[in-house]
Amino acid sequence: MSPLGPISPLLSGASPLTKIDAPLPKLPTVHLGGVGSVPTEGFGKMLDGLVASVDAKQADAKALTQKVLLGDSDQLHQSVIAMQEAGVSFSLMVEVRNKLIESYQELMRMQA
Amino acid sequence: MNLITGIDVSASALSAQKTRLDVVAQNIANAQTTRTASGGPYQRQVVSFETELIKSQGTSGAGLQSVRVAQVTTDRTPGQQVYNPQHPDATADGLVTMPNVNLSQEMVDLITASRTYEANLSVVKTARQMASRTLDIGK
Amino acid sequence: MPVALSGTMVDPIFQSDNYVLARKLLDASVVRHQAIASNIANAETPGYQRVDVAPDFAEQLRAQLVSGDLAKGTQNLTPHLAEDPSARSVRPDGNSVDIEHELLAMNRNAVEHEYLTEIITQNIKQLKMAITGRSS
Repeated sequence: MSPLGPISPLLSGASPLTKIDAPLPKLPTVHLGGVGSVPTEGFGKMLDGLVASVDAKQADAKALTQKVLLGDSDQLHQSVIAMQEAGVSFSLMVEVRNKLIESYQELMRMQA
Repeated sequence: MNLITGIDVSASALSAQKTRLDVVAQNIANAQTTRTASGGPYQRQVVSFETELIKSQGTSGAGLQSVRVAQVTTDRTPGQQVYNPQHPDATADGLVTMPNVNLSQEMVDLITASRTYEANLSVVKTARQMASRTLDIGK
Repeated sequence: MPVALSGTMVDPIFQSDNYVLARKLLDASVVRHQAIASNIANAETPGYQRVDVAPDFAEQLRAQLVSGDLAKGTQNLTPHLAEDPSARSVRPDGNSVDIEHELLAMNRNAVEHEYLTEIITQNIKQLKMAITGRSS
């Protein structure tokens, strides 16, 4: 015990790891139900899901940021993190859309 | 917008300590004043602090408390009486009542107030650094 | 059958244990700074008792981590201030604040804060890199 008394850590004995332990999400690999089934339905559903989650994150960020702007909350970090998360989700959606369009165009070229 | 955390609290402390410094400076300046506007020698003034609740936590835990000067009171203890018949304010017996200012006490107060002021300044500085790092998240 | 992704694509990172822990601890770090600010401001107020983050916050956080459902379980967990029962009052007016101790705690908290923002930043940067294929 130091003469100054214990400084209680926020979470004593918390893991000192800094490495990120979650697996990185892979870009979508849609599993086709059977040989020859067209993947458009899967992509449609997936895009819907993506849009919904991006919407949710944007709404979160908007709400938190507004609270800080109005002075109702002093949780600056929550607003910043929410905005970053919303940005990343949005960016993911854009990349998925780009890849899908590329694939579609590729497909059209093959069929032409 | 309240972007720098805890700044209201620290600002209140800086203000309170500044007031205290002013009062101590006044005491020191008047350590020899034997005649004031209201007659009689200067009496030292003392600052007292109290908390002020700025954010209550509702049912759980403590609220956030800033500080303010409760009041500036006059110390009524009589000062020393010094034998000095030549002094313009001497009584018939040649006694002069000096202000009740103890210079070493005032110097200690001065140093304490300064140190506390500096400590609160460093709290604000740290909070500002924290805000700055927060804004860099993800970049 | 199409894979129903429904918004779980970025969540593996954003719901990962260390990320959620870092976010919650960041909340606590901010509250802790407010506590220290209050303590230093009131270092000479008669009868003032030092405050800190209530210890049950860390306990609950750890319990939720062990129980395995960190993200959901801690959604409403917020840190709040509580009087520090272990602080002894060394002054006749009952004030229990020791400025040196507070300044030390403040510096340590600032470093913790920096560490936590770093964890969050690295998570986000890695995700961005994975998505766009280039570092921003």
